[in-house]
Amino acid sequence: MFRAMVPRAAPRSLLRPVGGAQSSIRPSAFYVLDRSRRGYATEAEEKDLVVIGGGVAGYVAAIKAGQAGLKVTCIEKRGALGGTCLNVGCIPSKSLLNNSHMYHSILHDTKNRGIDVGDVKLNLAQMMKAKETSVSGLTKGIEFLFKKNNVEYIKGTGAFTDEHTIAVNLLDGGETSVKGKNIIIATGSEATPFPGLTIDEEKIITSTGAIALQKVPKKMVVIGGGIIGLEMGSVWSRLGSEVTVVEFLGQIGGPGMDNEIAKLTQKLLTKQGMKFKLNTKVMGGDDSGETVKINVEAAKGGKEELLDADVVLVAIGRRPYTAGLNFEKIGLEADDKGRLVIDQEFRTKIPHIRVIGDCTFGPMLAHKAEEEGVAVAEFITKGYGHVNYGAIPSVMYSHPEVAWVGQNEQELKAADVKYKSGSFPFSANSRAKTNLDTEGIVKFLADAETDRILGVHIVGPNAGEMIAEATLALEYGASCEDVARTSHAHPTLSEAFKEAAMATYDKAIHY
Amino acid sequence: MNATKQLLQHRQPMIRFLGKRHTPTSIDHTPHAHPASPTHSLPESFASYRQKAQQHGPLNQQNHLPIGAIGGKPGASLGPVEAGKGMFFDRSELPARFQRTPWTQAEIDAIESGGASMHA
Repeated sequence: MFRAMVPRAAPRSLLRPVGGAQSSIRPSAFYVLDRSRRGYATEAEEKDLVVIGGGVAGYVAAIKAGQAGLKVTCIEKRGALGGTCLNVGCIPSKSLLNNSHMYHSILHDTKNRGIDVGDVKLNLAQMMKAKETSVSGLTKGIEFLFKKNNVEYIKGTGAFTDEHTIAVNLLDGGETSVKGKNIIIATGSEATPFPGLTIDEEKIITSTGAIALQKVPKKMVVIGGGIIGLEMGSVWSRLGSEVTVVEFLGQIGGPGMDNEIAKLTQKLLTKQGMKFKLNTKVMGGDDSGETVKINVEAAKGGKEELLDADVVLVAIGRRPYTAGLNFEKIGLEADDKGRLVIDQEFRTKIPHIRVIGDCTFGPMLAHKAEEEGVAVAEFITKGYGHVNYGAIPSVMYSHPEVAWVGQNEQELKAADVKYKSGSFPFSANSRAKTNLDTEGIVKFLADAETDRILGVHIVGPNAGEMIAEATLALEYGASCEDVARTSHAHPTLSEAFKEAAMATYDKAIHY
Repeated sequence: MNATKQLLQHRQPMIRFLGKRHTPTSIDHTPHAHPASPTHSLPESFASYRQKAQQHGPLNQQNHLPIGAIGGKPGASLGPVEAGKGMFFDRSELPARFQRTPWTQAEIDAIESGGASMHA
């Protein structure tokens, strides 16, 4: 290999060790030592691709690259694949959301449906066990997919030693190192801590602690009214907690949620028993006593208040997680929020090192990471990949669910886009009526001139599934009329979607 | 039927089948800002790294790697590697991994002691 790499015109003597005679008199023992250290071939086999992180971004990239025939290694330190999403995020929280909703419904919503139930009791330990069964089944599923697609799986913590080499501190003890022609960093994110509050995952918790509480807290304060805070607040509120959400901004749901939808959602959640303190900032907390005391005051200054809680959930957002990766050593750069800087093909300044998922730009969503996982593998194997950041849906799995894709009304106003809006309430939808689940609306925003869909916002039953149709429409660049003229089965909730499109370009039939 | 035709004349669906997806024939692989980048700009280091870095050929050359990935093109297409007539490459001009590894003290000792130091 070495010979092929050097200039063909170079005199051969240049390639030989200095002094041919010298090498011939070397003792044989020394020759062995020499070969082992000085050999020009690399010590370990070089992989086509090394993925650091086995979360949604990393494992998808690894499988996709494996399918394309690359020799792939994936390094994961958790001991289980699937990252935050599968282990302590989306999946366990959905298990709890679904089962706590069933419990809540059986408790409060059976009589008028003609079902008389006896004594209903919560078995929290069993509910947690059901959650763990779902999680372990899914994570083992990925291990199987790794084997199927020839992806080598190393359990350990990776750190760069040079641009092509990663030292791995193995979970079972010991060390190894892997070399890769291409490297993908997909190390994900962690919950942002709240300054002044020490997370112990028992009294002061993040989302990780919120899916593993041993008993239902009497009072719970949620700092941050974003999606994570509202979902976990919903779970414990349904199971009997008195939940108060403290949000610095003037609306819940985070910056992406449409104003009108956020207000409606807040109303619906309030009806379910959750309390909200908007435009309120948390000044500090004291967890020295039996309960946690949280000091809050109006964001614009003013009235101070002391909140008392058994458990405080810190849900003020997430931040990129790159600790221990040693990326500074090889000269990679992160921005002020800790996100690794990449170009349009996910490359860092060192082109064979790419970054995807939560530890770089874009929304911290599992499905966005998954899209990037596929795209990055295609950039490596085919030189071309596709992610449309303008058509990534967001879903909040409360009840009713909230989902949106594209731009919201306040963004369109700020950008001075001429748009028209149309909506349709679930209370006028036949299926929602039969389900006795009629809260919520579907809202379309479309370009005033071309009728092209710019955004769809839904709060209502099954919104999370319904948003897929909106995302597809947005990806294709459809008009409201295109959706409205597409037959939707009767009686289904999706008819509300069609009618909202109708209401945007013309008039709805049933409202 | 004519009535339907007339009706359809007013409406051109925006959703249209565009055919199977194909990889574009020419792709600009020069680094640009990531579409989700909040600053919409790349640090200067991206360009400067490519100026100096040599990786299967100079990185700053256009159209050198038509499919983006490292090793996307055979090495032969990078042009001849021979030195010009009457010129010779020195080993010190090669990338570090092809240069001479300095002797370690252990090796020097091994040579000087005829290998005895390895058993000491």
